[in-house]
Amino acid sequence: MRPILLQGHTRSLTQIKYNYEGDLLFSVAKDQVVNVWYSHNGERLGTYHGHVGAIWTVDVNSTSSILLTGSADNSAKLWEVRTGKCLHTWEFKTAVKRVAFSEDDSMALVVTENRMGYPGTVTVFSVKNDIDAEQSDEPTMIINQEGSKAMVAAWGYLNKYIITGHENGEISQYDWKTGEKIKSIHPHTDVISDLQMSEDRTYFITSSKDKSAQIFESNTLNPLKKYATDAPLNSASITPIQDFVILGGGQEAMEVTLTKLRHGKFECRFWHKILEEEVGRVKGHFGPINTIAVHPNGKGFSSGGEDGYVRVHHFDEDYFKFKYPEL
Amino acid sequence: MSNLITMNVTKSSWADEVGEEFDLPFETYTDENGVKTIIEYKTNDDGKKVKVTRKIKKTLITERVNKVAAERKKWAKFGDERGKKAGPDLSTTSIDQQIFLKLSTTGKHAESIEESDLNKKKAALIGKKILCRICKGDHFTTKCPYKDTLQPLDELNKDLEATKEAAPVNEPVAPENSAGGKYIPPSMRAGAKSTTGDSYKERRDDATIRVTNLSGDTTEGDIHDLFRRFGGISRVYLARDRETNICKGFAFVSFVLRDDAAKALQAINGYGYDNLILRVEWAKSSTS
Repeated sequence: MRPILLQGHTRSLTQIKYNYEGDLLFSVAKDQVVNVWYSHNGERLGTYHGHVGAIWTVDVNSTSSILLTGSADNSAKLWEVRTGKCLHTWEFKTAVKRVAFSEDDSMALVVTENRMGYPGTVTVFSVKNDIDAEQSDEPTMIINQEGSKAMVAAWGYLNKYIITGHENGEISQYDWKTGEKIKSIHPHTDVISDLQMSEDRTYFITSSKDKSAQIFESNTLNPLKKYATDAPLNSASITPIQDFVILGGGQEAMEVTLTKLRHGKFECRFWHKILEEEVGRVKGHFGPINTIAVHPNGKGFSSGGEDGYVRVHHFDEDYFKFKYPEL
Repeated sequence: MSNLITMNVTKSSWADEVGEEFDLPFETYTDENGVKTIIEYKTNDDGKKVKVTRKIKKTLITERVNKVAAERKKWAKFGDERGKKAGPDLSTTSIDQQIFLKLSTTGKHAESIEESDLNKKKAALIGKKILCRICKGDHFTTKCPYKDTLQPLDELNKDLEATKEAAPVNEPVAPENSAGGKYIPPSMRAGAKSTTGDSYKERRDDATIRVTNLSGDTTEGDIHDLFRRFGGISRVYLARDRETNICKGFAFVSFVLRDDAAKALQAINGYGYDNLILRVEWAKSSTS
């Protein structure tokens, strides 16, 4: 395959996201601009200007009408996808590390940083999906984090829970209606860098700096699978069609100059989801991979790196023919 | 879509060019297979006329997409892209070179099986010392990486001794310092003690071999790996090109002991390495 190289950012990528149909790819980076691309040919559709700090996170609703971003300028913004117009801004006391729309788009969660005496929170807002509607500034629920701060969060299926991944490697399950912690486990020994839901949200994958990625059941937080690699991981994603997971990461950016390129382990690793074996690798980035997203139809994936590039891959024919002999 | 570019350089004398400078023809036609051929003539930087033939085949691939996705494809661009025409912009989008995702089932799984097997074997052999007959490494002789290419060291030693016995030592006897000859400085006279510098140099040259016909990819590490088994190596020098840093094809290996060097010379001379037959000989001192 020949990857498409997207050079729309001047600083390292923080998150990329496909929309529901997979025809649009949103990318955010530390350079304060949101880009949207056509995923099939890498053409840039537009940019969203307004943030004045590094943008950490992005999410789009399922009809691809409203975009939600969170930034280090202590705000989360709602945008009209089609025109790039900012629809609403929510202000916070600290930086926003993660945003996510609920499964039915009616709500959004915002994870804020624990900084300057303010505790880290997971704040839930209700969102009106009409672009002309007035958005409410009043949060539905604020879940205060005691102990280790939350780094990532996602909605469980049918908006039942919010699942958070913490700095110390903990994973917690919250009832967002009451703000209570239902369950908590401690499977990772280091920062949880990413948490992505499966298509039906019944299970999710976490990646951690402790060099492993794990799959858990959303309901019970039972660990299902574990993928142990040899490099700190920044992102993990589950692929449709083939039973794979894609893991990305690599040596910390600050340590890159100390070693040779090929020792940096800056490759997307493909692991068999069920057998927990590595099946292949895709190289290309010059720095650690910060974020991975899989096309919803499973025919491609994209990765964003510390090197400022997004690489869009469309799988070759033989990827779909690949079969494990024992399955 | 495939691009085929062929270039034919036609030389012409300066006299022919007069008057032709501005009427460079341009042809284009499409054959029955849908391959479009464009023939252009242009003058290149060297002032030579160049014929450029390009063959282009266009294949239309129809992809079915969601209705809303098709609708979105018609959206007007905004932000930094406002007003730009449809299609990828080369300043932000480029196609990288071909990469391959090779999916294999023989990944970690096979490795782990092998490892457990190996562990079992190792456990069974605890207390027994494994020593390769070929390279003296701590593995079985059958697992030796040099198995097919090198003689076992023991045999080599035997061979070496045999050749020594067969060929009687015929070292040149130092001529007697006969009277009436030329003047010989005291240091050069028989029985005189040589200076330390000389002996050091001699010793070094003594146990140094020259390896030639190395491939360009060879590194110092490879040379070390190849010669380590014969004995202590004091120095490896690999000749490299100053600009490209590519191996120039020869190297010097100094052993601590001359015997080890002799052994290495015997074993590696004529040894196939990286598709090339290595040649090993004693290094000649630079002064002689």
